[in-house]
Amino acid sequence: MSTATTEARALDHGLPPARYARGWHCLGLADTFRDGKPHRVEAFERKLVVWADSEGKLNALDGYCRHMGGDLTQGEVKGDQIACPFHDWRWGGDGKCKEIPYARRVPMRARTVRFETAERNGQLFIWHDPEGSAADLDILPPEIPDVLTDAYTPWSWHTKEINGSHCRELIDNVADMAHFYYVHFAFPTSFRNVFEGHTATQYMSSKGRPDMGSGGYGDENSTLKSVATYYGPAYMINWLEVDYKGYVTEVILINCHLPTSQSSFTLQYGIAVKKPEGLDEKTVNYIAERYTESFGTGFLQDVAIWENKAPVQNPLLCEEDGPVYQLRRWYEQFYVDQAEIKPEMVDRFEFEVDTTKANEYWQAEVAENLRRRAEEGSTADAEAAATADA
Amino acid sequence: MGAFTPTRQETIEDQKLYLDGRLREIACLDCLAKVKVKKNSEHHTAVQWSDEALGHCTEFARLSGQPGGRPVYESCPRLMASIDRAVTEGELEVGAEDGY
Repeated sequence: MSTATTEARALDHGLPPARYARGWHCLGLADTFRDGKPHRVEAFERKLVVWADSEGKLNALDGYCRHMGGDLTQGEVKGDQIACPFHDWRWGGDGKCKEIPYARRVPMRARTVRFETAERNGQLFIWHDPEGSAADLDILPPEIPDVLTDAYTPWSWHTKEINGSHCRELIDNVADMAHFYYVHFAFPTSFRNVFEGHTATQYMSSKGRPDMGSGGYGDENSTLKSVATYYGPAYMINWLEVDYKGYVTEVILINCHLPTSQSSFTLQYGIAVKKPEGLDEKTVNYIAERYTESFGTGFLQDVAIWENKAPVQNPLLCEEDGPVYQLRRWYEQFYVDQAEIKPEMVDRFEFEVDTTKANEYWQAEVAENLRRRAEEGSTADAEAAATADA
Repeated sequence: MGAFTPTRQETIEDQKLYLDGRLREIACLDCLAKVKVKKNSEHHTAVQWSDEALGHCTEFARLSGQPGGRPVYESCPRLMASIDRAVTEGELEVGAEDGY
């Protein structure tokens, strides 16, 4: 045993950033905004209005009219424009006021805050940059081949408000090997991270813990191969290959978020399952529902931790942990001006976690849990038998 | 680092320790790339590339030329072999120090 004494370690909660990340942020499934109505979206401590013009192109503006502050999300779509419910000022997707029906002319300065939009994989994205740069189309998340075709089930899309946490808590998971055992009930048998440019990736193989019942990562009958990449600060594509009793299914899980304040965010996740060949529609839908349910459970497991934990700017690590400091250094690039991005924030970094010791310990712990449960079970059986005899 | 501000001086020291501590420069035996490496155990490896090193890597250049570009997950096998060699030759020490 070590005789060295050190001082008690302080938790540095740190100070949250004074801005929101630069990059593409996903607002949800594009078609849900195409119902001819204005939609309200909370993001970046703002209210945004999103609507489709007559050609179906989606637009996003600040939600308050620059005239007298009317709430555009309660307005009406008129032609290509969003009309304010207060005085009917008409705003175009380019951020300019196009018409004031009761006025001789529109003031030249009638411009509002506009967010450039793009669509990928059937989802709507907006570009956010506190510096006001033009949208960088080169770093839009990639198109996922065939995902919008009949080869996959349609996106099953879900939204959850998270309060009391900065969205960096969610990002930290990318480098967090051990939480998969404790929070998601799976053995992460191999774990690797690569950060490069605007992407951060986690490669993981895992298998479910047999002592925790079924659901999510924790089903004892399933092994997972997972590749999960953040494209920018807020949108992750997770390619999953789930082997359930020898039956392999490809699942795509989208994990994205919109920061709503420095201590809250809206988590969104979507699931599409590659339809296994030779199965009827009903079975395919059943499988898709099960995966949606189980990965949804996985997020709720994280949420319970986030809602109660403290922010930590100085995590204390052991050698089995992933590269959380390097991940945060990568994430930092989205919170500084483009001119201030340091090479080390975007330089390629590879990290292979040694999971050997952890898995040895975990296997033993699970075996002990199962043994104890069997013993309790047989004691309970004996007691039941004794009671029946009496 | 700017955006998430530590409130304790010791945190800056921690950041240096976890980000740069014990990183050792390893030269690729096949090209001019030099990277910084740390090995906490036989299976663990951390590799810090620089833009310059990426530019020198012939394997990555070859992968970049294929359709769809270089898959980001691929390690450079030549560099990995060079790291193994550095371990065998005793140039790169294997072992962790108090979790970093």
